[in-house]
Amino acid sequence: MGASLQIGAGLATTAAVAPLGRRNVGLRPNLLALGAIAVVGCALPIRTAVIASTTNDVDLVQVALLDWITIPFVLAGLVAWWRRPDSRLGPLMIAGGFASGLSALQLTHVDALYTIGAVFDILPAAFFLHVCLAFPDGRLRSRFEQVLVVTAYSAAIGLQLVKIALGAFGTNSLIALGSWPSAAADVQHVQLLTISATCLAGAFVLVHRRRHAGRLRRHSLELVISSFAIGLVMIAALFVDGDLDGPAFQQLQRATLIVIGLSPIAFLVGLLDERLGRSAVGDLMLELRGEPPPRQLREALARALKDPSLTLAYWLPDFHTYVDLDGNPMELPQDGERTATVLERNGVPFAALIHDQALDDEPELLESVGAAAGISLENGRLQAELRARLVELKGSRIRVIEAGQKERQRLERNLHDGAQQRLIALSLQLSLLEQRLEAEPEIRAELDQARHEIALSLEELRDVARGIHPAVLTGHGLKVALESLAARAPFPVRLTVDLDQRLPERVEVAAYYVVSESLTNIGKHAEARDASIRVARTDSRLVVEVVDDGIGGADTEGGSGIRGLADRVEALGGRLRIWTPRGGGTRVEAEIPCA
Amino acid sequence: MRVAIAEDSVLLREGLARLLDDAGFEVVAQCENADDLLLKVRSYSPDVAIVDIRLPPTHNDEGLRAALEIRSKHPSVGVLVLSQYVELGLALKLLADSAEGVGYLLKDRISDVDEFVGALRRVADGGSALDPIIVSTLVSRQRPDDPLSQLTPREREVLELMASGASNQGIANALVITVRAVEKYVSSIFGKLGLPSTGSESRRVLAVLTFLRS
Repeated sequence: MGASLQIGAGLATTAAVAPLGRRNVGLRPNLLALGAIAVVGCALPIRTAVIASTTNDVDLVQVALLDWITIPFVLAGLVAWWRRPDSRLGPLMIAGGFASGLSALQLTHVDALYTIGAVFDILPAAFFLHVCLAFPDGRLRSRFEQVLVVTAYSAAIGLQLVKIALGAFGTNSLIALGSWPSAAADVQHVQLLTISATCLAGAFVLVHRRRHAGRLRRHSLELVISSFAIGLVMIAALFVDGDLDGPAFQQLQRATLIVIGLSPIAFLVGLLDERLGRSAVGDLMLELRGEPPPRQLREALARALKDPSLTLAYWLPDFHTYVDLDGNPMELPQDGERTATVLERNGVPFAALIHDQALDDEPELLESVGAAAGISLENGRLQAELRARLVELKGSRIRVIEAGQKERQRLERNLHDGAQQRLIALSLQLSLLEQRLEAEPEIRAELDQARHEIALSLEELRDVARGIHPAVLTGHGLKVALESLAARAPFPVRLTVDLDQRLPERVEVAAYYVVSESLTNIGKHAEARDASIRVARTDSRLVVEVVDDGIGGADTEGGSGIRGLADRVEALGGRLRIWTPRGGGTRVEAEIPCA
Repeated sequence: MRVAIAEDSVLLREGLARLLDDAGFEVVAQCENADDLLLKVRSYSPDVAIVDIRLPPTHNDEGLRAALEIRSKHPSVGVLVLSQYVELGLALKLLADSAEGVGYLLKDRISDVDEFVGALRRVADGGSALDPIIVSTLVSRQRPDDPLSQLTPREREVLELMASGASNQGIANALVITVRAVEKYVSSIFGKLGLPSTGSESRRVLAVLTFLRS
């Protein structure tokens, strides 16, 4: 299936992003990952051996707990790095794991190692905060988060170095410059409170983010975020407790280490769950084999992606726009809670999945679903294109009719203000002339004859102009215009017009022509004794009904009049129906939307 | 007799003014649009206003609205509406409340000076003038069991004149018969058509029109 997948919103962005399969990868993780595993594998026993050999009263529980953090973080980091080479989260987790492992070195009595352990003492907390906030894509999302992380690192490294220099870790430390216990205590006070504050703020950010995350975010992802938030709160509590020499420091410390060690496990469970999400793609493939109609495709994709809010957009190159399945133009979301994943074929977009932002965390799932649905989506696109063309055709039909209408109105107006007006003025002049020529009866008779000719011309012109466009309709509305139509019919017409206001002009014009053409037909063919016209508005439709008691059996196919009427009514989205049983009269009914 | 004219074609407006001047009318206002007409009717209180039904700016229903407004606000001012088409629907609208002091004629009629001036005087005096086209269209319509078929040819003539707003004297003059004979025809027509006889000459216009329309 040639479909490739891009993440992004809109054309501009998609064009800039390379397809996933050919994504530029900054670091190839395989070798590095292997190296890292080797280093950890070697480093841990060596470190434990060093600690055991140099220390008599070693707290093995403490060492084990630090390993409990180091190992899951490094492993989870490796998995994350392998799966998302473009995300910084993996390296970050590995670094955090190493920092934690190195901090255990302060349990030795070898000065150099002890110094390294002292430097790394607080750093794991800052790494943990960074990992929590950068989950899941390795990036910090706001300036506030960046400030939090930088502050935590500064306090964990900068203040730590100052503290050690002031002798907080005794003179065994290689970089102690002397021993100023009260100054060191002050620095430690500031350091611990600062990190506590950043951790609490970080926990708040996570809780806030979770509350505003999309509905579909998986439970396991929620579990990860929850465990991160709890870990951050416990670090904050631990540091405050330590700073204030509070009770049960050791128990609190162990509990904190246990919780922090659990969060990479939650992270791995989350990845596993995403794997399970892949099996939804298998179900989707089975479902697509039945070639579901385009309307059911959305449901199937929504199930596979676990996003009930999913919508599909189809790219129509001829129209240069995205449309929905009904062919109505639509815009892809540019930012906010909805994201568009554009699907391409041979480098050209053909459809887009518009989904909850939370799905951005699972590009592989989007890619597989997009690839699986390729052909079905292509079918949907063809259907959407067909409908878009129908919509366009309908629009152009209305435009053609309206343009014709405008032109007729213009012509009528020109006749009215031009030829007709001039003829009337001419006739008036002749009659004024006539009055002055009382002594010339012969000339008077000729002038009178001329006036008579003008009167005939005016009558003909009037009929022509009225045929071009009934000005009374534009000026005074359907009711008055139909009253005149009915009055001119050569047979009695019962007219009932139930309208309390003017309607859109094109609706009035269509209704007028339905009545006018029907009355003409009745006069020509129906041999009717009388007819009735009923015009009423029900909800958003105008219903026009013309009924006669004539011979019925009217020709509804051959006459171009009826065809033209039907065209006019249908162009407005209406319907024209004719009942004309032989011997049973004729009934013409038009329904025209007029909302 | 004082006349106000509202007509946007200069040629016609001035022709009309000259015609009326010659016929002994005093043209107190010549207006191009409806607002100007309403203003001048208010200031000069003419006996009658001649209103073109299509007036600027849109040439839709400005003239008709001005005519209806004059009829409701200045009932003493007669209104003669001129149009290049006469429409039954508009006639019914103009005459809806009463047929007193109102006229509705084809514009062509102005060149038939005597008749036009007669109709104008009638409207100014509180009578009515309805274009014969409207009446003749309605009369010529074929009806099943046509009640009009009971009328004699002379009675038909009287009916058409009556529906056009002519007074008994006017009908008498037109048909060269006595007013008494006209009265006899009128009551015979009303009897045959089953119409309640109305005393007023202008009220019977609407009665006949309504009868013919149905």
